[in-house]
Amino acid sequence: MTQSIGVSMKRKEDPRFIRGRGRYLDDIKLPGMLYLALVHSPYPHARIKSIDKSKAMAVPGVKAVITGEDLDAAKLEWLPTFHGYDKQMVLAFGKTLYQYQEVAGVIATSREVAHDAVELVEVEYEPLDPVVDPYQAKEDTIILRDDREPKTNHIYHWEVGDKTATATALDTSAVRIKERIISPRCHPAPLEPCGIVADMNKATGRLTLYMTSRAPHVHRTAFSLVTGIPEDKIHVISPDVGGGFGNKVPVYPGYVVATVASVIIGVPVKWVETRTENLTTTGFARDYHMDVEIGATKEGKVTALRVSTVADHGAFDAAADPRKYPAGMFGIVTGSYDFPAAFAEVDAYFTNKPPGGIAYRCSFRVTEASFAIERGMDLLARKLEMDPVELRRQNFIKKEQFPYSSPLGFTYDSGDYAATMRKALDIIGYEALRKEQAEKRKRGELMGIGISTFTETVGAGPGKQFDILGIKMFDSAEIRIHPTGSGIVRAGTRHQGQGHETTWAQIVGEELGLDPQELLVEEGDTDTAPYGLGTYASRSTPVAGGALALAARRIREKAKKIAAHLLEVAEDDVEWKDYKFGVKGIPDKSVTMKEVAFAAYTNPPPDTEPGLETSYYYDPPNLTFPYGTYIAVVDVDADTGAVKVRRFLAVDDCGTVINPMIVEGQIHGGLAEGFAIAFMQEIKYDEDGNNLNTNFTEYLIPTALETPAWETDRTVTPSPHHPIGAKGVGESPNVGSPQAFVNAVMDALAPLGVTHIDMPLTREKVWRAIRNAS
Amino acid sequence: MNLEWSGQERITASKEKVWSFINDPASIASCLPDVRQTNVLDAHTFDATVGVAVGPVRGSFKFKIALEPRPDGNHMDMKINGGGLGSVIDLLAAADLTAEGDAATILNWKGTASMRGPIATVGGRVLDTQALRVISTTFENVRNRLSGNPPSQ
Repeated sequence: MTQSIGVSMKRKEDPRFIRGRGRYLDDIKLPGMLYLALVHSPYPHARIKSIDKSKAMAVPGVKAVITGEDLDAAKLEWLPTFHGYDKQMVLAFGKTLYQYQEVAGVIATSREVAHDAVELVEVEYEPLDPVVDPYQAKEDTIILRDDREPKTNHIYHWEVGDKTATATALDTSAVRIKERIISPRCHPAPLEPCGIVADMNKATGRLTLYMTSRAPHVHRTAFSLVTGIPEDKIHVISPDVGGGFGNKVPVYPGYVVATVASVIIGVPVKWVETRTENLTTTGFARDYHMDVEIGATKEGKVTALRVSTVADHGAFDAAADPRKYPAGMFGIVTGSYDFPAAFAEVDAYFTNKPPGGIAYRCSFRVTEASFAIERGMDLLARKLEMDPVELRRQNFIKKEQFPYSSPLGFTYDSGDYAATMRKALDIIGYEALRKEQAEKRKRGELMGIGISTFTETVGAGPGKQFDILGIKMFDSAEIRIHPTGSGIVRAGTRHQGQGHETTWAQIVGEELGLDPQELLVEEGDTDTAPYGLGTYASRSTPVAGGALALAARRIREKAKKIAAHLLEVAEDDVEWKDYKFGVKGIPDKSVTMKEVAFAAYTNPPPDTEPGLETSYYYDPPNLTFPYGTYIAVVDVDADTGAVKVRRFLAVDDCGTVINPMIVEGQIHGGLAEGFAIAFMQEIKYDEDGNNLNTNFTEYLIPTALETPAWETDRTVTPSPHHPIGAKGVGESPNVGSPQAFVNAVMDALAPLGVTHIDMPLTREKVWRAIRNAS
Repeated sequence: MNLEWSGQERITASKEKVWSFINDPASIASCLPDVRQTNVLDAHTFDATVGVAVGPVRGSFKFKIALEPRPDGNHMDMKINGGGLGSVIDLLAAADLTAEGDAATILNWKGTASMRGPIATVGGRVLDTQALRVISTTFENVRNRLSGNPPSQ
């Protein structure tokens, strides 16, 4: 047996995906199954005067039409939000609060009949003036939530850092920049939309929920709390999941209505979203409006950072943030830089838009924070007339400062930012690019180089700080080694493209000296998997990865006793070396884990429990802090505003790399999404609250045609507190890349005096900026 | 999403004849393009089911149309409310008549529409021209019917 960690092993899950043999939610068809389709409000803000079900009910095949009133009668109209500070409607009740809000559900014998009957549910609305802009919401002239006290659209104020010291430092700084930097509303838009098959078996009293869920245990607990059904009577199965990016963490009205229908009728009920439903009602991302101020000395040493944010949370405060972190991990906004003083505050408001807010590979608002600081540093470099690389180098947290206590309350685990940036600059040939740019500028050509030296924080998280629904954000692993040395590995996470079936086997294989190909990984079934908090926010490897390694080490401890028995030596004389148990000082005497596994069932030591299995619930001592240097090189066509991304280099440091090929794949995918956010994607609303991006002709997904060719490399700075030194990487490319693209375009437009354009940098926006500047 | 249009038709018929025509729900209903079904409710209101094909929004919309003539016999407001496929359209069309001698009438029309739902997504790309086509065709048809020409559509 040889090394497993660090090997580019092919993904064990791919054969079934490549051959079309995956089993996704919509592949599940149960006998007698009914279908749910939802009626949506065309108005963003309206009173519901009446709902007439009669015409829909008269359609052959329609079994039921459920409204908010029906749910209210059953005390199921309101759902608690994950952090517990708000509640959200299942179906619009009294008022609709955003366009496309779910108003009624039609249950029918086929999907087609259900959708046809939706057209016949007659809802009479009294339109009300909508609030589409969070700054308008702030005025409190129209109050959106009648159900809450006090009567205001303001949800919360959150702040961190030393307000007074930061204000003083800014006031006395020789150089200051201030810019409103918007991270616009976008949407994760996974290829597979959300769905559920709810199957209430009235004979057994058991409710089985097949869901596109990334947190099946949390969903089980949430369903139990809302419905009162004991948790042992609820079985959540998350089949293969076709992408999530944060979209499949919340509980959606369709899940609840399908479940209620199944519980009442006693047959399975399926609901699968349409693309428009996914884009218009489920968890969006961003909508942070950040006023960023940085102070510095004339020499370019930063003195203070202040960020004041207005957050548009939509109609309900349903962001799946941990309870004590209403603005997520926005405190990471000081990034890779050693700020003597910093202060961040967020004020969140209700608007007539759908709720959500923390989706799209962002690890609880880290994306917004990283975008703010990396754009801010570029604006400062411009003001100082300094190379943005030099400004960053001067202000990096130094290698010897780790563990580093940030002014906003984080303890960064490890990093060598200067070394990673140096490697990136060498690979891209930074000096030569600057020379080329100077030549081109003489000819009036617009070439830009953009850099992002981001630090993010992932792996929520330590139970003392992080919980969802009060449940600590630990994660778990269970390992059972069979007599012949193969085994089954289960975790509380749920992959949706991350490759856990391979990487979890690699972690366990490495720790136990077993072949990862013979370790079956299973997740997503609450009857068999240990309780876990799920897969999002780049937490699987930092948390469940730790649980897996420590569970494997527990197995190894027991195996050592059995090895001593087989080797006929004292346990203290046994050592784990070269992936097998040897005897200290006797090189040729050893037993493999396979031999030990067989003995565990056939010949255990007299005083030892037979078998070889264990579990581990891992509560990490700290978050992890992956980082990287990304560089974009762009050419901008001054006549059309078209941006050509000529090169893009990502040098990531995510600590120990389990499977380099999978990490590279994660980075490629995240960069494509970051590219889309920078140049193409926005969920826009007109002044009447109409969502203008309800399908893939209006909300763009980059294809191979638009996506640049990525160059990737890495440095490795292990996390000192993680059992295998891994930090997580799924979110880094999305967190780190948008600002590299934007900084590159702003660098290209620098000779024209253009300093900032809000994303997405569409051709039209870039062209207008060029035209207005010329 | 709010849209506005305006136009003019010269009709070779007396103002009285035009006024009488546009006061009759059945006559107006017959001038709407792509009409699948109409149902006159009373002297001033009717329902119409209209075929719609705007980008991805394809199907039939149901409208309630109310005629609101001014007593002076020169100005007609038409309130058109309805929708379908999850979209809502509120349209206000207004016609002003001016006699041009005894045998001709100038009909100036204005239309404003507010749209909600999937149809608003299609927005400026195609909606503006599609809606303009519907409204202008309606008034063209009024002209053609009264002038004795074949209808535009």
